Parts: sequence; structure tokens; C-alpha cells
Amino acid sequence: MAATAHSALWKTVRKFWQSLGAIKTGVVLLILVVIISAAGTVILQRPATDADEMQRAYSPQVLRLLDGAGLTDVFHARWFVLLLSLVSLSIIAASLQRFPNSWRFFSRPYKSTDESFRNALPNHVLIPIKDEEQALSITERVFQKAGFRAEHIVRESSFSLFGERHRFSELAVYIVHASLLLIFLGGIVDALYGWRGFVTLNRGQQSSQVEAQNGSKRNLGFAVRCDGAGQENYADGTPKRWWSDLVVLDNGRETLRKQIVVNDPLVYRGIRFYQASYGSTGKLDKLVLIATPRDGSAPKDVAIALNETVPLDPDTTVRLAEFIPDYVVRDGQIYARSSDLENPAARLVVESRKSNHAVDFWLPSIPGFEQNASSPYTFEGKDLQMAYFTGLEVSHEPGQWSVWAGVLVMGLGLAVVFYFVHIRVWAAPVRDARGQLMLWIGGTANKNKDVFEQRFRELVEQIKTELKVSSKAGAETPVTSLAGK
Amino acid sequence: MARLARAEQHPAATGTTLVVMVGLGVAFLLFMAFLNVIKSGNLLNDSNLLYAALIFYSGAGTLYLGFGVTGIPSYVRFASLATWAGLIANTGAVAHRWYESGHPPFASIYEMLLSFVWTLAVLTLIAEKKFGVKVIGTVTMPVAIVGVVLMQLLRTEVHPLVPALQSTWLHVHVTLAMLAYAACALSFALAMMFLIKDKMKTETFLAATSLFGIGTYLGVLTRFEKWGGLSVIAWDPERKSEMFIAKGARLFIVIPDLGWLMLLVLAAVAAPLALYLVWRKTGKENLIDIANRAVFVSILLQVLALVFFLLRARDGRYGSLDADGLFSTSLAASPFILSGLVGGIFVSLLYLLLLWRRQDLERMLPSAEELDRITYKTIAIAFPLLTLMIAAGAYWANRTWGSYWSWDPKETWAAITWLVYAGYLHMRVTRGWRGRRAAYFAILGFAVVMFTFFGVTYLLPGLHAYA
Repeated sequence: MAATAHSALWKTVRKFWQSLGAIKTGVVLLILVVIISAAGTVILQRPATDADEMQRAYSPQVLRLLDGAGLTDVFHARWFVLLLSLVSLSIIAASLQRFPNSWRFFSRPYKSTDESFRNALPNHVLIPIKDEEQALSITERVFQKAGFRAEHIVRESSFSLFGERHRFSELAVYIVHASLLLIFLGGIVDALYGWRGFVTLNRGQQSSQVEAQNGSKRNLGFAVRCDGAGQENYADGTPKRWWSDLVVLDNGRETLRKQIVVNDPLVYRGIRFYQASYGSTGKLDKLVLIATPRDGSAPKDVAIALNETVPLDPDTTVRLAEFIPDYVVRDGQIYARSSDLENPAARLVVESRKSNHAVDFWLPSIPGFEQNASSPYTFEGKDLQMAYFTGLEVSHEPGQWSVWAGVLVMGLGLAVVFYFVHIRVWAAPVRDARGQLMLWIGGTANKNKDVFEQRFRELVEQIKTELKVSSKAGAETPVTSLAGK
Repeated sequence: MARLARAEQHPAATGTTLVVMVGLGVAFLLFMAFLNVIKSGNLLNDSNLLYAALIFYSGAGTLYLGFGVTGIPSYVRFASLATWAGLIANTGAVAHRWYESGHPPFASIYEMLLSFVWTLAVLTLIAEKKFGVKVIGTVTMPVAIVGVVLMQLLRTEVHPLVPALQSTWLHVHVTLAMLAYAACALSFALAMMFLIKDKMKTETFLAATSLFGIGTYLGVLTRFEKWGGLSVIAWDPERKSEMFIAKGARLFIVIPDLGWLMLLVLAAVAAPLALYLVWRKTGKENLIDIANRAVFVSILLQVLALVFFLLRARDGRYGSLDADGLFSTSLAASPFILSGLVGGIFVSLLYLLLLWRRQDLERMLPSAEELDRITYKTIAIAFPLLTLMIAAGAYWANRTWGSYWSWDPKETWAAITWLVYAGYLHMRVTRGWRGRRAAYFAILGFAVVMFTFFGVTYLLPGLHAYA
């Protein structure tokens, strides 16, 4: 009983396996993939489209229906992944089921020629000959010249020639299928183990964490520091280039340094950092001032950051106490209107150690607040460097190497499938119905049959002419009839 | 026999009528292009070279058509001469553009069309010289002409490349795309010729022509607004770009009454299909004659629709439903509608050519088996190119966005195109599909290519905003 149940189960599995490999199953699955992916491009997709827009585009009932069916995130839905897995299985089944046959054909090529084979081959001719040996050696030479290394096939009662080219092209289609599976494998690995994140860095800032797409923090295991970021523009003001100078710190040691631009990421331990955004933080990086002493000595340049204290002479220091990118004075108070660099103001504190006296120097002068007149130095703004942040897209795709390998293999495989033709030629001396000695020449190609036919005709013509030449040179009686067909 | 008799009823003059009609159409398009040349003012630039290319391509197209009509072999000689001349001018335009912008001409839809037309002309000459498909120009040259005319209307300024586009991989990607698409276009033309040679009924072509027209005008009428207006994208003439109300949301303005006209033309192009269906049911032969006349009428109406569209889109300011004030538009803002309208006219004209001169056409084509084989060969070229195109695009995306596949609509549709052609190859190899079914598949494949190229850009949102 158990045995029959077992064999019934085995039968079902076999049947399933067989139908999985059928071309019909493959086509139905492909049509399904096409229809569903097309639907995925027409229906708005989450999370690319935000929730508000989804609600605007579809009525609540329709949206609930679409969400329920998984049609609002088709390409990440379980059933779509299942469908793609079925396609992969179908490719595997089809390849495995057909492979043994192809392998037999590949490993044991049909070399000798029997009667029924000779008659069934579409491309063949018969040429009357006088001498077997001579005809075969001429044929071998012509085959050789055409690129077929002719093999001598010796059987008990016969002797014939076999030549071929590009036998490997018979197996190329399996290489293409295998490459597709490699690509799928890469995609699956990335879907399972890959991740994407984002990190924003100011100049000089470092981070060992990135924010993953779902909002959680992910530890990198090393830190990235931004040493600088910038934008270059074309003459017409459109952006030409964004760049960031990145440094990788592993265990506190600097291990990698690279300037990344759009299209050229930094890669460290399989994690890639892409230039994704760039902008102003609204904060000051450095203020460059010209400080002129009241005693008439030479003015000098001072670069100063927020809350930094810089000595001006042995006795005097200046500190940048406040920086407002966009100030406004209202009701006797100074307010920051926005964080855009519109109307900047800076408060400098000039301190004299000797007198232990500090004054507020406002740049520009704001009446009612400044004590500019009592400062031992006057200041003039020279340059204003704002702090910029760089936004880095971070991704980890361990499966991509499988994808690229698959792409390369597929390119090679397709080249072989389409442009390498497996050509086989045979030649054998035979006797026709009337007992006349003939040279039978046959050939076949696995694709581009029309081109091959032309080539075969040329090959036969060449053999005919060579036969004629040699018989003229060697024999006393000229051969009159060479019309083999 | 019946068909022969019908062809005999039309005297030779109908052929001349057709040539005159095409000539008039070409003259009108030339005139439109000429306006642009006067505006730009300098002599040797890519738009003038393109203008020269247009003249030659138009001449070639007319001559190919003439060859299709009369079968005089000298026509085809002159036609390929004209194609060569057009190709030289086109090459000059590509080179000038490349030199001026400092990058290969693939960055905008204008530059892509430039490369596409160039590839198409090269492939036409190859198909003619190497494979002996002499009438191929009858189909490909009109496509090239539509392409060049579109370019005359689209913006031609050199725009510096935004950072994401500064990549060698992008150039590889787009070059491969153009080559693959041109090969697909050729396989489509060959499949159509196969169907002609394979004695597919002229009535079926009538239905297909009508269906194409219905598809085009239904597409146009997706922009139909209340009270019979047609909404088009607003155009900023100073910045030479489309106008946006928000990031990614284009500003639409409504041209009044144009919607009604388009609706009328839709009825006119749909009439032959309706008549065809009734004919299939009842078998009354005279219905087909009426349907053929309806095609003729629909051509006149289509030309009318095109003229009205051209005139109203070039001048005038129109209101919008989404914003206050009046805005202008430009033909450059609606390349999809424009190519649809022009394409519809060409398809109908080709149908008339088939109707009147089918015997001559068939005589000049290689055998059906030969056409079937060449169709397969062009697809055998197109498919690896498509594969590499997708791979190069994925590699570029990986370097730019950090992911090689993100299921954006253009990517997805490229994959669908690939799957359709993969299906064609499998059916052919494992199931031995030849002839009709293979030809239908090749036509379907090209339809998907066209949707991927135009439809996705204009109808579906996504990352490929540049093209």
C-alpha cells in the first residue's frame, strides 16, 4: 500500500516536473510576468508615490482593493517573487529535461554515414568519380581549406570523411539559461541580504551609522568622515558637478580616502557610498575678516569660526560670539528671520587682556547694540564661507556580482547562439543503383540554413573543379560528365 | 481576380495623385522647417544640416513611394542616391552636435532622434544593398522624415549635461538602445512586407490601418477636456522648456474646440473598421469599396486635424484649469501628439499605396521565405543589442543610484520588450513558428518598443525624466 502511494506521489511529482519544463508553461508564465509588470507601471506604486498622492489618485474603495491585491507594490509582493521563482524553476526544468539529449548529440556526434541517413539529409549531392582514394583526399583538402578539420571514419566495410565547426554552439542555449539563473540568483540574494540607507554629513563630521529605508539605524562597523563637499556650475548656472571628499576610518585608523562624484561611488567592504544630495546647512563655516588696528599699524586677515577665539596681538583677542544668516531688528531686539543666507550679521567680542575689557563689535553695525567705536580694532567682512552638507546614498548589494557575471555570460552565450553555427559535413564513396562509383557529399547547419546552403554549393563546386583538374592531369581519358545532381 | 479588376479600374492617374499628395505634404513640412531656419539665422549648424537631410530624405521617400507605385527601377537608384546624400547631411548634423556639446548626441530626445534617424538610414541602405529589399525605403523613409520633422520642432539648444548623465556607460547604453530600436524598426518593416507578400488580405490591412488610427486618436483624446478642449503642456518660450506647477507636475493648458475636431477624426478613422466588421458579417463587397473611400476621407480629415493643431499650438495663449492666467504652448511640448498625427497620415497613405499598387509591390519584393528569414536575422541582431542595452543601463544605474534594477516604468518596459522578443525566438526555435505567426510577433515586438520609447516617457512617471 505504502509503495503504491509512494509511486503515485512520485508520479505526480514527475508529471509536475514535466509540465513545468514544457514550453507552454514557460510561455504562460512569461505572459503573466509581462501583464503583471505592465500593470505595475500603470498603477501608482508605493513607496515611490507617497500616501497622500495615492489617496488623491484613487477612491478609497479602489485603493483598498489595490492594496489588498498587492497591486500597489507589485514588484515587492510575495506572489510576484513567487511567480519569478516559478519562472526560474521552469527554466531549470526545461533545461534539465532537454540537456541529456543535447549532451548526447554533443559528446557523441554522428560521424559515419549509413544509407538512410544519406537519403534523409536535405543537403547532399552525388558526384561520379573514378578513384575513391584520390576523390577523398581531394575532398579532405577542400574541407581543410574551408575550415573543417576532416576526420577519417573507418568502419569494417567503409571509409568516409567527417568534418565540423563550432560544435559547442549546440550547448550555448544552456549557457544563456544558466546566465539568466545567475542574474535571478543575484536578485534574490540582494532582496534577502541587501539594504539601502542614507547618511548626511557636514564638513568634518563623521558617522558610523546610516539610516535604513525603514527608518531604523544600521551600524556600518566603520566610520565615514566628510572632509569637504562642493558644487561646480556651468556658465549658465546649472549644476555641473557635485563632489565629496570622503575618508573611511576603520578602528580609528584612516584606511581609504576618495573624492566621490555622481556616477563614481566609494566602495568599502562591499558597501557603496553615492553622492545623492548637497546643500547648505544655514550654518557658518568660516568668516574671513580684515582687522584694522586703530593705532595705524597694518591691517591683517583673520579667519574665524563660530565661538572661536583668535589673538590679534599679544594683548587683544577676538571671538565670534554670534552669527545670524538673516537678521532683522524689531522692537529693540535682533531676530533671525530665516536660516537662508539673506542678510547676515555677526557679533564679535573684542577683548583686551591688559584692561580686561570686552566690547561687542557688530558687523554690519547695528545702532543700539554695537560698541564698535570703543573697539581697538575695526573689522570688515572679506569672505563668508557657509557650511554645506553632503547627502550620501548607501547601499549594500552582495548579489550584484552574480548579476554582472550573469550578464557577461549571457552576452557570450547569445553571441554563440546567434553567430556561431554548428556546421557538419560528410563525404563517402558509394555505389549508386547502377553500380557506378560516386562520391556522396552531405552537410547540415543548425541555423542560418540559407547561408549554409549557399556555402555548401560553393564547397561542392570546388570539389568538382579540383576533381576535374586532377583527372585531367592524371588520367588519359577526360571526364565528360560531371553533372552530379 | 477581383482585386486585379479593382486595380485595373483605377487608371494610372491615381498613382500620380498619390505622388502629388505626398509631394504637397512634404512641401508643407518643408515650409514648417524653413521657418525655423530663417529664425536661427546662421548657415552651417546642425539644424541647417538637418534641414538638408530632410530635403534629401523626403526626396528619397517620394522616390521610394514612386518606385512602389510604378516599379520603374531607376527611381530606386535615385532614391538610394538621395538617401546617401541625406545620410551625409545627417552625419554632419550628428558630428556638429557632438562637437558643439562635447558629448555624444544622446542626452535629450532631440539628440536621440538625431541618432535614431541616422541609424535607420544606414540600416535602410544595408537592407537594400545587402539583402535586396528595395522597397524597404517606402516604410523606413517616412519614419525618418517624421523623425527629422519632429527634431525641427523640438528644442535644439545645447544643454550642458546634468551630473547624472556624465557617464560613459550612459553613452554605451543609449547607443545600444538606438541600434537595437532601429533593428526592431527594420524587422517590423520586413514583417509587414512579409504579410504583403504572403497574400494577407488587403481588407485585413484596412482593418489594421483603421485600428492604428483609432489607437492614435484615442491616445490623443486622453487629453480631452470638458467643453471639447484638448489639453497640452504649457511651454515657456524664454527658457525653452515645459512649464511645471510643482516638481514633476507639468502645467496643462486647454486649447478650446480642438478636442471636438479630434473626436470627429476619430470617428472618421474608425469608420473603415466598422464597415470592415459589417462586411465580415454580411459579406457585401461594396462595403469594402465604401470603407476604402472612407480611408481617403479620413486622410483629408487627419491632415485638417494636423494643420489645426500646428496652427493653434504655434500661436495664441490659452487658459489652464490648474492655474490663473494665459500661457502659450509649442509643438515641442507635444511631440507625442504630433508624431501620432503625422504617423497616422503616413500609415493611411501606405494603405492607399497597397490598395492601388499591390501587384507591383509584390512583384518587387523578395520571396516570402526570404523576407521571413531576413526578419528573423534582424531580430537576431536586435535581441543581443537589447540585452546589452539593458545591461549597460543597469550598470549605469548602479553607479548613479546605487541599484541596478529599481522597477521604474522604463526599466520594466525594456524588460517586457526583451521578454516579447525572447518569446519570438523561443517559438521560432522550439515550436518552428514561421511565416504569419512569426510576423505578428515581430510587429507586436516593435509596438512594445515604440511604447517603451515614446509612451513610457510621456504617459508613465519615472526616473528616466531626461529622455
